[in-house]
Amino acid sequence: MSGLARLVGGPADIGRGPVFWSLVALTLLGFALYPSAVSEFQVSNTAYYLLNIPLGLGMALLWGYCGVLSFGHVAYFGIAGYSYGVIAGNLSDSPSGPVVGALGGLLVSAVVAGVFGYFVFYARVQKWIIPILTLVLTLLLETFLGQTAGYQWRIGSVLLGGYNGMTGIPSFGFGEFEFQGTSFYYLCLVLVLACYFGLRMLLNSGFGQVVVAIREDELRTETLGYDIRARQWAVFVLSAVLAGLSGLLYVQWGNYITPSQVGLLQAALPVIWTAVGGSTSLLAVVIATFALNWLTYTLSSEGNQYAMVIIGALLVVTMLFFPRGIVVMLAEHLDRLLPRARREARR
Amino acid sequence: MTTAPMLETRRLNKRFGGVVAADNIDLSVETGELRCLIGPNGAGKSTLFAMLCGIQRADGGQILLAGRDVTHMQAFQRVRLGVGLTFQTNRAFHQLSVRENLAIPRIPHDAERRALGAERLAVALETFGLDPEDETRAGELSHNQLQWLEIAMVLSGYPDLILLDEPAAGMAGEETARTATLLKRLNATGLTIVVVEHDIAFVKEVAQSVTVLHQGRVFAEGPVEAITANEEVRKIYLGKA
Repeated sequence: MSGLARLVGGPADIGRGPVFWSLVALTLLGFALYPSAVSEFQVSNTAYYLLNIPLGLGMALLWGYCGVLSFGHVAYFGIAGYSYGVIAGNLSDSPSGPVVGALGGLLVSAVVAGVFGYFVFYARVQKWIIPILTLVLTLLLETFLGQTAGYQWRIGSVLLGGYNGMTGIPSFGFGEFEFQGTSFYYLCLVLVLACYFGLRMLLNSGFGQVVVAIREDELRTETLGYDIRARQWAVFVLSAVLAGLSGLLYVQWGNYITPSQVGLLQAALPVIWTAVGGSTSLLAVVIATFALNWLTYTLSSEGNQYAMVIIGALLVVTMLFFPRGIVVMLAEHLDRLLPRARREARR
Repeated sequence: MTTAPMLETRRLNKRFGGVVAADNIDLSVETGELRCLIGPNGAGKSTLFAMLCGIQRADGGQILLAGRDVTHMQAFQRVRLGVGLTFQTNRAFHQLSVRENLAIPRIPHDAERRALGAERLAVALETFGLDPEDETRAGELSHNQLQWLEIAMVLSGYPDLILLDEPAAGMAGEETARTATLLKRLNATGLTIVVVEHDIAFVKEVAQSVTVLHQGRVFAEGPVEAITANEEVRKIYLGKA
């Protein structure tokens, strides 16, 4: 049991101690009760903010903890979403169609990331080239999907749909039961929690320590006996699967996807969420992903044309004044204040 | 039955453009030996070191570890066969604690190597006064403590052979002596040690045998007394002192 506590509460992420965990419990209680207090429309919007979190967590894992920046992780978001649409769409008569589609979506994104990552890491491509290669992949995917209009571009009975995208994608469910509205919100909440705590435990484990060591000094880590290419590859694939999970939830939420989901603007977003929150903390990225998705949605739904300009400006401000991320630097500041407060309280 | 040397190179070659960094280097280090590699700047010490670790590929020739050809192996594969190494500049993980630094190396499965390795690590921790449970961030340690931490970190992977690139660089007299003491104590446990070193006083203190490199070639080799007394070596290396 103490082993489990060390894995969850270890030093890989900010936030330790009883005060922190009480706050977490309170926040979770708030999220659990939230649907009973607001309209179904608001619940659905909040589900959207939540479903982006695995993508953000994948970025934090890959970039913040492993030191590899992918500027094209939305490719795996899109691949999983489209694959789910194709598989579940073709199996729409089968009660297990959505489950098979979800597993298939994750598998396809893992395989594509596995092949791509193999060439990148086993060729020991220099680190600064990786963001460009990953961006090229997602832009190629966008271009390809954009020209798939017309009846000839169909897989089974599902049309890829070109720039108009794929529509009528089935919701997720088992048999008769469908995740919609509030139940979909809870599905997202549970998956986000599983991803967060799973990653926190992974990064506090021996595997995670080696991942961080690779970020700090690749050559030193390799000469301590580790095949760093295999580790980087594994982290890359895992982060792609997390991006894929967000893609799955996205198409299950809106029942459609368009090629712009893997375009340049979308590709920049997870990088922004991660940088603004602080890439070296999972929790910071969870908070930033949720907050920035809320901000973007709120700004644009109020008819504000400048939502993306504001998000971009936020990135610039972060880079200038909070180079390690707003949430991370605030947490460090609190950490410095708290011991003093505790000392004074004891006196 | 003759046992193969712990480390052997056969006609090892490396060129950088027109510069010959290693010219048919034949080197043989027996198990349990403490060998120093010396030579003036540009003699090819660093290149040889990098080729032995697997960071740089040789253009020709062979590298053998306990009789096994490792010439085409990656660095991490050689480490798994029992090589540990430290670099000229300190590369302990400054962001991690002392405890975490010592916990990172990959530990071999072999029980015998583990037992022997643990004993050697204990010798190093004791000599340097390092606490394996210390949660201090490595970046807060002094220069020589960092150097020692890195040596202890390498020993945490339980190697049979360690390659050290100037382990006493930048240390003052007392600390240099402690480093020398450790090397001798480790060597007494049967650990094979190869040290690339500039400081001739340090070499005299620790080495049993010395290989002198000059212009990419093995210029002289022999017991430390003979080498330091050799007129030719004094000419190229010691500035005719």
